[in-house]
Order: sequence, then C-alpha cells, then structure tokens
Amino acid sequence: MAENKVQVFVPEAGTCVPWKVKKEELGQLAGNEEIVKREWDKLDAFAYAFIWFWVQR
Amino acid sequence: MSGKEQLFQERFKRYSVAMECGKPDKVPVVFPLGEWVIKYSGITLQEAYYDVDKATAVIDGVLKDLDFDVMFGSINLWWPPMFDAVGCRQYRFPGIYFEADAGFQYVEEEFMKAEDYDDFIANPTGWLVEKYLPRVNDEFAEPGSYRATVALIKGAVGFAMHNGKTAQVAQKWRQEFGVVPYGTGMTKAPFDTLGDSLRGTKGILLDLRRRPDKVLAALEAIVPHNIAYGMITSAGDTSLPCFAPLHKGAYPFLSLEQWDKFYWPTWKKVIEGLWALGKRVFFFAEGDWTPYLERIAELPDKSIVFCIDLTDAQKAKKVLGGRFCLYGGVPTTLLTYGTPQEVRDCVKRAIDELAGDGGFVLAAGGVVMGDAKGENIEAMLEAARQYGAY
Repeated sequence: MAENKVQVFVPEAGTCVPWKVKKEELGQLAGNEEIVKREWDKLDAFAYAFIWFWVQR
Repeated sequence: MSGKEQLFQERFKRYSVAMECGKPDKVPVVFPLGEWVIKYSGITLQEAYYDVDKATAVIDGVLKDLDFDVMFGSINLWWPPMFDAVGCRQYRFPGIYFEADAGFQYVEEEFMKAEDYDDFIANPTGWLVEKYLPRVNDEFAEPGSYRATVALIKGAVGFAMHNGKTAQVAQKWRQEFGVVPYGTGMTKAPFDTLGDSLRGTKGILLDLRRRPDKVLAALEAIVPHNIAYGMITSAGDTSLPCFAPLHKGAYPFLSLEQWDKFYWPTWKKVIEGLWALGKRVFFFAEGDWTPYLERIAELPDKSIVFCIDLTDAQKAKKVLGGRFCLYGGVPTTLLTYGTPQEVRDCVKRAIDELAGDGGFVLAAGGVVMGDAKGENIEAMLEAARQYGAY
C-alpha cells in the first residue's frame, strides 16, 4: 500500500477502518475479495469493541 | 441430547416465554452471582478477580447444588491484569492498591473536558483513540512510544483472552449445569456513556446548565455507537437481551424535565434501534423509575425486560405488565439484612402480585452485594420453586 493513499475519514458506528476505505487504498485484489473482507470486518468489529469498552462501563 | 442440555433447553424456553410476556410452566427464577459467593469460599477477592479459573471453580461448587433457571451477574466482570497492563486510572483493584480482601473501586474523573465536545461530536471513535485512551491509561501517555505500543498490544490481547475465557466458562456451565445466561452483549443509555466515564457526574451536571446544546449533540452522536456496541458485543445473538446498566436515569438524580430532555430521547432511540435489529434490551433500572413508567410504556411491545429495583412494583405491573416482561421482586437489601423466612415471604408476595398473567421473572432487583447471606439466596430460589408453579 502506498503511503499517500491512506485516507482521512470519520469511521461509522461499529467500524474503525471500514473495508470500503481499505479497499480503495488497496485497489484491485488478486484473490477472493469476499474472504478478505469477511475476516477484516470481524477484526475491525473486535477493535471497535475494545475502543468503546473503555466508555461503556 | 444430554440431560444437562435438555435442562438448559427447558430453562431457556421458560425464560424466553416470559420475555415474550407469555406464561411458562413456572415462574423463571434467577441466581444472582456476585462477590457474596467469595466470602464462603476460602479464597480472597484478589484471587477471585485475577484468577478466572479459581473463581470458576468456586462458582462450580455453588452451582452444583442449586435449582434455578437463569444466572445473572459476574465475579470477573473486570479482569485486573488487563487494566494493570495499560495503567488504567479508572479502576483500583485489590493487589496493587488494596489489601487482598477488598472490593474494587471506580475512580471518576473528567477524562473528557468541556472543550472536547466539538471534537468528540465530529468523530467519536477517532477522539476516543487519540484523546481518551491516553488519558485514562497511563501507559498510553506517549502514543507511539515503546511503553505505549507494548501496553496497547497487551491490553488488546488481554481483552481477547478474557472474552475468550468468559465464553468458554459460559459454555462449560451450560454443559455441566444447564445454566442459561440472562443476556448477551452490553449497551448503555447515551447519557450514562457521557456522564459516567467521559464527562463524569460533576461534569455532566454542570454541562446541563452551561452547555446543554453540546450535551444534546453529543448524546445524538453516541446513539448509533451504542446500538452498534450492543450488537457487536452480543456477537449477533438476538435470543437473549442486551444488558444495559442504567446509572443516572433513576429518579430523582435528574429532574423530570431534565430526564425528558436529556436522558430519555436518545436512550429510547438506542432501544428502538436495537429492537429493529431483533435485539431486546435488559433494562436494568436500578433505583426508582416510577415517575417514568408512562414514558417507558411508549417503547415497542416486548422490546425490553424491565428490572424492578425500587420502582413501585404494582404500578410497574399496571403500566408495563402484559406488554413488557417484568423482572425482580426481591430487594437486594433483604438478601443482606433479612432472614430466610422474610425472603420466602417476599418471594411469595412478589409472585402473587406480579406473576399472575405470566411475563414475569423472579430475581433480585439489582446487583446483589458482597455481604448478602447465602442462606437468603437459597431461600429465594427454593421459595420461587415452591410458589412459582402456574
């Protein structure tokens, strides 16, 4: 990933770095995008839970 | 299907029917797990908090002799090693800060300043990462440094380890004892998210008068996050309700006007948002919510389980009964200061008054305190079985 492709964005609720942002940075994927996206989304949601955990107590 | 799995399914059905406002074969009864268990165990609170396996073994010993449907509560809600790793300023646990038999303490500060409102509203998650986490966790004080990066890694790994352990223990209790958990996931009222751990109690009370528009905008910004957080922490489960500990909504913490303006609108949106996704809310209404019952009745039918602590139970039954499952009936103070006979009398009275048409779960009305008496808990469960058959 080229550094100058990193986007500035406001993450929607439930996300930290949404797949659509990452996809634009990566461009065309050589393999099966759905597999990459599915696991990206799971880990992104986990990170989101970790971040918001600190204020949801 | 094993005997324990069959038991689990029977109890799960009993609880589910009640949540749907129906009449099961008997009134579901809830075992209140809490720190009171530890005082009978021979281990210290520090051991129980830090060593999940040790706490689990203690709980195993209690569960094997009891007959109940649903379990509420936890001993290992917060796992201190994770907080130690990041240098968390919000909690103090026995071990580093207190002697081994002391309970943990929450230390409230204004980690979000009044001048932070605009940045928080513009990008809540980004603000939490860049501003809030370094303020609440000493090890994050210099983001990007060796200490901060290592602490972040350890904190995230600790979060994953503890979540994994919690899920593993829940599965074990299902297989070995047929235990049904009261809920899955967690959310909060936006006012509590803002007032508990961001602005703090003093901060938000001043803000209601000095910058009410900022408060309202921040609450609106939190709404989608509290919906998302509830679903993510539920791992998509919609069969059990989402826990919502409600701290600053009880009467008379806010005036009626303040509650109407600041507390209710965004909390209602969170509940409705979760319900639209099929997720019911465990409306953990500690304290007295009697003045708000008519407003709560505006919610979609069956979208909450309403927990009765100090709320007028008969009025709750009149206003909410039939449309929402009611939960409670036994004051937590009675479990500490009462006698087993007084507890049995209370259970009978609660079932007589609240359970007649179904849609009722017999339980302690709040978090059972560490000084509750084991014989009173046993009396509650036994009386529920004695008087709870429909």
